[in-house]
Order: sequence, then structure tokens, then C-alpha cells
Amino acid sequence: MQLTYLEAITDALRCALRDDERVFLLGEDIGVMGGAFKVTAGLFDEFGPDRVIDTPISEEAIVGGAVGAAIVGMRPVCEMQFADFVACGFDQLVNVAGKLHYRLGLAAPIVLRLPSGGGVAGGPYHSANPEAWFVHAPGLKVVAPSTAEDAKGLLLAAIADPNPVVFMEHKGLYRRVRGEVPEEPYETPFEARTVRDGDELVVITYGAMVHAALAAIEQLDGASIRLLDLRSLEPLDEEAILAAARDCSKVVIVDEANYSCAIGAQVSSLIAERAFEDLDGPIIRVATPDVPIPFAPELERAVLPSVERIRAACEELLAY
Amino acid sequence: MPTERTSAENRVEVLLPSLGISVVEGTIVRWRKQAGDAVVYEEPICDIATDKIESELPAPATGTLVEILVEEGETVDVGTALAIVETDQERADAIAAQQASVLDAAYGVHVQPGEEGAVSPVVARLAQDLGVDLATVKGTGAGGRVRKQDVIAAAEHDKLAARYEPPPPVALSHMRRSIGAHMKRSLDTAATVTSWIEVDFSAIERTRMEIGTTALPIVAKATLQTLAEFPDLNAWIDGERFTRHETVNLGVAVAIDGGLIVPVVRSAQELSVLELASAIRDLAQRARSGELAPDELADGTFTITNPGQFGTVMATPVISQPQVAILDIEAIVRRPVAVEDEIAIRPICILGLSWDHRALDGAIAARFLGALRARLEAWGGG
Repeated sequence: MQLTYLEAITDALRCALRDDERVFLLGEDIGVMGGAFKVTAGLFDEFGPDRVIDTPISEEAIVGGAVGAAIVGMRPVCEMQFADFVACGFDQLVNVAGKLHYRLGLAAPIVLRLPSGGGVAGGPYHSANPEAWFVHAPGLKVVAPSTAEDAKGLLLAAIADPNPVVFMEHKGLYRRVRGEVPEEPYETPFEARTVRDGDELVVITYGAMVHAALAAIEQLDGASIRLLDLRSLEPLDEEAILAAARDCSKVVIVDEANYSCAIGAQVSSLIAERAFEDLDGPIIRVATPDVPIPFAPELERAVLPSVERIRAACEELLAY
Repeated sequence: MPTERTSAENRVEVLLPSLGISVVEGTIVRWRKQAGDAVVYEEPICDIATDKIESELPAPATGTLVEILVEEGETVDVGTALAIVETDQERADAIAAQQASVLDAAYGVHVQPGEEGAVSPVVARLAQDLGVDLATVKGTGAGGRVRKQDVIAAAEHDKLAARYEPPPPVALSHMRRSIGAHMKRSLDTAATVTSWIEVDFSAIERTRMEIGTTALPIVAKATLQTLAEFPDLNAWIDGERFTRHETVNLGVAVAIDGGLIVPVVRSAQELSVLELASAIRDLAQRARSGELAPDELADGTFTITNPGQFGTVMATPVISQPQVAILDIEAIVRRPVAVEDEIAIRPICILGLSWDHRALDGAIAARFLGALRARLEAWGGG
């Protein structure tokens, strides 16, 4: 069936609620209102107020409540209204959920859905890409789909996973990306995906930047460029990354997140450490500079990695 | 509600925008620019007050503010033209280029080539692995840098350019030269045609198990019986002279070390299957040990060759001159075949007959093969 990225997430939630009575959803305005972006629309009517729970405006309470429910055997799926606001639930996620198994041997099978990303004129409080915070913290997994099919499969895999999983869903892709999605439930492995093959250069990225990179590559007619969609940021698919670096010898890494200590920095470090002998040029990173996302659309466009910037980086490295 | 209107080519009217729901008019508080001043797109040109808010009005384009239509202190309706800006595309482009260069300086990626002669890790490694001398490679990268592709291309070129040096030839043996001359003469002389027929060897397989031989003497016996019906195949042709034989001197091809030899079973039509088996075995053994007398290779009138033991299923044998035909027995292979309306698994052998179109025509060859098949498929007893 053809679904948008957003509909695929809704479909995954519906599958999980139907198939596993331990699964329940909690978040701000996700019940009667169906969520700020309508991701949970219809689920309150189908599953009732005990399984689609409207919470007070307290991210700390949402994550903390989910951790408690997970300890007694439930499978909570939390929605942060915007990824930015996860900062208010940071302590429960990083210090409690992330360290629960290490400290007490207890599984914490919670999923945190984070509507992330810019390009929607959301300004500095509604555009963040905070995935690196959670990749850095031990005990958490982080995934970031770029397609409708992966959105459903990765979310179901996240719900089935016994660890806390941060699910980065890009707001800019909600209604812009659409694709064929299998009707039955399925789980997508936390591994990278080769979007297109090539052997002169590889672009490594994830999330919305997969689409920007693809557009840039399509403008570079004639060059053999591989595109790797990481899909899982923690664990990182090191074998796929190293194989791509070895085959192509030139690497461009794109982050929509701020430049310093982004996922791309980790990927770059991995390649420098373990594929040095195969490199034929510097590893090039394209990312948002270390600034908040501006509100004005012109300024936002200026700071987010654009198709033109990605293409220019590829062109320079190909010519090197 | 529009905030600008193009009144003529490169003349843009600045309109009083709606500054909120239910706001219908506004007052010019102060002009920040005067007529004749240069303005840049989005730069504030005046301050406007409504009953709700005081706000700046941005320039709708880059150019010159040529005329002010509403003076400071006046109150006008939303949509009223306040001023006219004459656009300057050249200046707008220059400003856009300047902004682009500022962005490029902040966020652009620029790859700097290393110092002359510096190579990347993969180039150094590949040059060593592939034995390429980097001093001889012309770089196609930025500033003539040697790239990975250049090293691979150089290695490919070296491989292609290297001359092949074959090992020294050796002289052919006497036997090879003799076989070669004989085969070439046959093909130059005869109008060779090969016909094939598939034969179900079930009966032959049964019989040979019972009597403990290979299939060869049984096929040989059936061939001798069939040749009696088709005497034109047991013959010699020499130019315009044709000799039909009463007796069959049956040549049997034997592979020996370094070549091939065809000893002859004389008056073979007189022998039983077991006698044929014994005669062929004896000749083959002595052929391999080099003990054949010259007359045991002479006077053949028809030849059988039997290379099927190695699994091949078809060949185009060369006729032994001056004979007119040679029968080729290939591998017996179990195959699914149609038997009436059922599929059955049967041992199948393809028999090939090379014959000389100077001496006979296809109908005789085909009828001979058909009769031979009928005889083999109905084979009973020794």
C-alpha cells in the first residue's frame, strides 16, 4: 500500500497496539487531538484512553512514567511533541532508562518518538536534530528512517527491542515522502541501506539528508557515486561504512545536525581509524554550522545543508 | 494583502501592508530613507504606526527610492501606495553574489591539494601492490594530483602493453603428422555429411550385463547385420571408381599414447558378438603395446569409432579414406523420454554416421540408421 512517511508511523503504532497488549502510547495531546502532527489520529478511538494516554505537559513525567511501566513489563511508546523538548526529559532518559540494565539488570523496553529536523520554518525551539546526545549516552539505541517503508519497519523493531530506543522521525518528511509499505507487520534491522551503488565516491547520511544527497547525486551525471543511508545511528553499521569507504576511497558525510560531535563526526573518525589505507582524499563533512536554527526561512535555508552544498562538496572531492 | 505592485518596468510601488486582523489604516511615523537614496531589498525604509502596533516597512527590492507619495504624519488606508522604488538589477545581483561569497566562506567545503608529489594512503598502497612507478603516472586530479583511478589505469596499461612471450614450439611426432595428413586429405576429398539418430539402449544394456561385455561388440554385430542390407555403405570410392565389398573388414578406432590407430577385424560379418568382443579386445591391447602387424591396419571397408566413454554425446567423425562411411558411438546417457504417452527414464545413445555424398545420398544413410536403431532396440540374446 502507498503511505506517507507519517501514515507509515501511524500504521506501525496501530500494528503494535493490535498485536501486543503490553504496548501503549503516551504524550501531550496524542489522544483526543491525535497529536500535534496527527501521527496518532484515530488511535484513541480505536484503542481507548487506557492505551493512548494524554499526559500533562511534562516530558520528565512522560519518560519517567514510561520507565516505570517498562520495569513492570509494559512496552510504552512516548511522543515528544517536538524533539527539542526531550531536553526536559533528559535525566529520566539518560540517567535512568539508559543505565537501568547496567545498574539493576532490568530491561527498559521503551521507545521515544522524536519529531525532529528543520526546513519547516519552525525556528530555534522546533527544528532540532538532537540525536547525537543519545548516541553519546550509553545504554540507548537511536534510529532515523528516511523512507515510509523504513519508518514502519524501524518503529516496529524499536518497539520489539528490549532496550530504550530513540526514534528520530523527521517532520520535513512526514507528508513529503511517500512509498510502498507492506501491510503486514515487519521489523527492519538496525543496519545501513545502500540507496544506490557506485565506486568513485560515497555519500554517507541519514534521515531527510538522504533525499537532499540523492538530488545532489542525480545532478552529477556520469560520476559513479554510492549513497549509504545509515538508518541506525546507535548501533552504527560499521561494516557497511568501512566497506563503502574501502570501495570508493572518497567520502562525503552529510549531517542536518550541528557540525560539532554530530553522527558524521563519529563516522569520519571510524573511517580515519580503520580505513585510512583506502582513502584517496580528505573525508569531507557537510553539516549545519553550530548555530540555533533561525526562524526566517531565508536564514534557515542558508544554514541547513542544501542540495547545492552537497553537490559542490562531491564535485570538489571527485576532482581531487 | 500585497505589499508591493509593479507599476512599470523596473518601477515598484511600496504599499501599506495589513498589520493585523481588523487593521484598516496606518500612519507614517518617520521616513528612514529620502527620495534619491539607494535601498537594499528588505532594508527598513520607514516606520508605520497602527492602533495596535508600530512596525518597520522593508524595501520590496534593491534599487533607488525615487519618490515618496505619503508624507510623515499622514494616515492612509491599507493598500495605499507609499513610495516608488526603481529597481537596479545589476546592483541586486552584485549584492546576491557578495552574500553568496560570505555564505561560502562560512559553510563552503574546499579541498586543498597537498604539496607537489604528496600521495594519498590508497595511492601509495596500490602503487606498491600493483607494481606501478608513480613517477611515470600522469595525475588527473586537482593540480595534477595522482588519484586512485590513475594508479589502476596505469597498472592496466602496463599489463596490456607487456608482450606475450610464448614457450618455444616442439616438432610434431611422426604419428601426429600422419594422422593430420590423413584427416585433412579425407576432408579435402570426401563430401562429408553427418547424420545422427537417438537410440534407446535398454535392450543392449540388458544384454551386455548378461554376457559381460561392453556395448561396442553388440553395436558392431548389429551394424554388420545392417550393412548386409545396405551394401552401398560397405564400399570404397576412388575418384570415379566405386567398389562394393562382399565381406566387411571392420576398422575399430583405438586411442593410443600420442595418437589414434585403426586396426581391422577381417571378415567381421562371420563373427558372433562374443567373438567380435574378443577380437576387438585383442587388437586394442596389441595396438596399445605396439605389437600390430602392418596388414592388421590395412583393407578396412567400414569403421566404428567409440569415444563416448568420456561422456560426449555427439561428434562429426572424419571418414577413413577410401571408405564411404564411419559410425560414431557416443555416451549412453539416462534421459527422460516419451514412451507412448508416458515419460520414462531410458539409457539413450546418439549414433552418428558420417558419409560421403559423392558415393551415396541422405536417404540411404537415414534408412541405414533407422534400420540399425530398430535392430538395437529389439536386440535379444547374444
